[in-house]
Amino acid sequence: MPTVSLKDSSSTVAWNFKLLAQHELDGFGGMGEGMSIQMARDGRRILWLAHESAPKNFTAVDVSDPRAPKVVVQTDLPQSFMRSNSLETVGDVMAVAYQTQKPGQKPAGFELFDISTPEKPKSIAYVDASGPHSRGVHQLWFCDGEYVHLSSGAPDFKPRNQLDDQFYRSFDVRNPSKPTEVGRWWLPGTRDGDAEPPPVRGKPPHDKGFRAHNTNVYPQRPDRCYLGYIDGGMFILDIADKAHPKAISGWKNSPPYTGFCHTVLPLFERDLLIVTDESTMDDAGDWPKLVWIVDARAEQNLVPIATCPAPNYDAFAKRGGRFGAHNIYENVPRPTGWHSDTIVLGTFFNGGLRAYDIANPYQPKEVAAFVPPGPPGAPHGTIQLNDVFVDERRVVYTVDRHAGGLYILEMDF
Amino acid sequence: MNDALHLFPSRTAGPFGRRAKHARGGRIPVTIVTGFLGAGKTTLVRAFLKSPQGRGTAVIVNEFGAIGIDDALVRDSAEATVLLGNGCACCVTRSDLQVALRRLVAERDRGSLPPFARIVIETSGLADPGPILQTFATDRALGAEFHAEVALAVIDAVTGAATLDWSPEARKQVMLADRVVVSKTDLADAAATALLMARLAQLNPRADIAVAVNGALDPDCLIDEADGTRARNNFAAEATHADGIVSFVLTETAPVEWTPFARAMDTLIALRGRDLLRVKGFLDVAGCRGPVLVQFVQHLAHPPVELQAWPDGEPASRLVFITRGLGEAPVRGLFDAVRGVALPDPQQTPTSP
Repeated sequence: MPTVSLKDSSSTVAWNFKLLAQHELDGFGGMGEGMSIQMARDGRRILWLAHESAPKNFTAVDVSDPRAPKVVVQTDLPQSFMRSNSLETVGDVMAVAYQTQKPGQKPAGFELFDISTPEKPKSIAYVDASGPHSRGVHQLWFCDGEYVHLSSGAPDFKPRNQLDDQFYRSFDVRNPSKPTEVGRWWLPGTRDGDAEPPPVRGKPPHDKGFRAHNTNVYPQRPDRCYLGYIDGGMFILDIADKAHPKAISGWKNSPPYTGFCHTVLPLFERDLLIVTDESTMDDAGDWPKLVWIVDARAEQNLVPIATCPAPNYDAFAKRGGRFGAHNIYENVPRPTGWHSDTIVLGTFFNGGLRAYDIANPYQPKEVAAFVPPGPPGAPHGTIQLNDVFVDERRVVYTVDRHAGGLYILEMDF
Repeated sequence: MNDALHLFPSRTAGPFGRRAKHARGGRIPVTIVTGFLGAGKTTLVRAFLKSPQGRGTAVIVNEFGAIGIDDALVRDSAEATVLLGNGCACCVTRSDLQVALRRLVAERDRGSLPPFARIVIETSGLADPGPILQTFATDRALGAEFHAEVALAVIDAVTGAATLDWSPEARKQVMLADRVVVSKTDLADAAATALLMARLAQLNPRADIAVAVNGALDPDCLIDEADGTRARNNFAAEATHADGIVSFVLTETAPVEWTPFARAMDTLIALRGRDLLRVKGFLDVAGCRGPVLVQFVQHLAHPPVELQAWPDGEPASRLVFITRGLGEAPVRGLFDAVRGVALPDPQQTPTSP
């Protein structure tokens, strides 16, 4: 007759992750989904972080010593109805997305900053994407120093349904003081005047919009944009002619799932795509929200082959706040970004941060987990891990959506 | 080994899959503590739980009431044995241990148990560690979820020598251990302790032997972050012990071709599986960057795991055999013969053993 005893010395789940530091970012620890590392000219490693909501715009943290992060600068948004949920850096240039709560509000668009002195970001250019039907920019991708790819509204874009206001746009920023729009793509049928019929919408409350979310473009395939399109599923765009992007294939899990396709991460060497949903309802109201493995060997015939085993429903669904997939680390093609084609790291809100071994993509296996307790001030009492970044030193950064700020971890698997 | 890699080749994975930082990979590391009643197992386990290394550890004890660690939970299960896999009698193993392990993980995942990242199994005094190690030796059983990281034998300095004299189980515990801890040296005669230490080194020349005074032991003795790759290389000659148990170490400086190695192991297992009490070590496999950890218990094989790098940068294969009556010469002869007839593998692609 065996006896099982358990010594519980911590309410933190830290399996194969070691917590190096946490920083609440001076009381403004509600973080968005923009995380980018700059190697400053003086050798400091600066992590730039977007905030989930006003009043803060962005925060820079010196993470040269991952055990002793220091806030370098923290800036304010000009309006309380704005949010700058996304940012990227290339060298000494940073692009920041501006979205408003309601269509028609200003400013809405994106801004480029000179961050050569991290303490003093200087505006280089502002691109106005506001309009009567636009909430501006939700997310942007900027990794080559030449083009910014965005999920954005536009002054001249009238969607048939207001929920479909943000679509794929790209801007040439080779002259960063004068960004110029290069191309657009939206789901045919969503713009007022389109010949195509409007898309069949999800049943409320699962009607979140047919609009762009992540707009990833990688140097391995500069002619492809990997596009998450919320309730439209995912698309691969041919952007060889940047002025005329063409959808060449797509995949959609909804219905029967509940939409909100978020990220498409291509693993080029392996002909795989990692596709995430985002959970947007508390208490798992839209469960299950998953990380999908898609066989992309035939680019025009995408085949889902597995999902990463999600944290257990019974343990997390009613714990408070959101539970389910959201951001994954996207193999950011910068010298300061880690690259792996066998490990997927993703944030699951109250399910914490999870790492999966996908060496066998038919059988993804969880290999690490980090679920800290709800930080002080957490509106639902739980952690709501929102985004994750891994630098080339294999140091992992993850952020809480509401209060906990930044958690810095080491992978031990 | 990982067939999907043929369809979806990876730049970062090796032939055995993802290159792991630790041999445990995504599995839960397990420490098995053996030792006779009164040897001091409980004291050591308690001290480990209080150490930083022991945080988040679940403990499984063979006997009800044998330990009083903050009892979060007590589980019963009927005493039973099951036949695993192909029904070989050497695979008779304790199903209650398997049930306890599976329940632990299931209830942790459901949130009804606090999280844990390691399991310590404190065995009953007379336990033969062989079947317990075997429980973890294959992914068909529990090998996919758990990794037997350290087998530790505790022996007390006062009565240990006498116990080794009369008990074949005690001898086997020492022989199969990765580490041996001598307890109660403060209560024993120094000369007797020295004699005991020498005898233990002879019984198990490859194990680290540590001394615990008043239960004070380096908690690192219960874990192995280096995955055995730093194991001492102090004694590699063949040794024949009581009970017909033989131990030896095969070493190889040239890279090992996986296919001939795997085929030779197949043959060895087919002919003498019952007598392979434990085979464990790391190989410098041609085509792999890091050491490949392999482990066999009787006729069961652990899935090989490639580590990210050699700990000291120097590749060298080293395989420890603990057998019943099977010496180094025939084993080496078998490996050489299989290698001699194998065609060179142009792709150096290891295949499933």
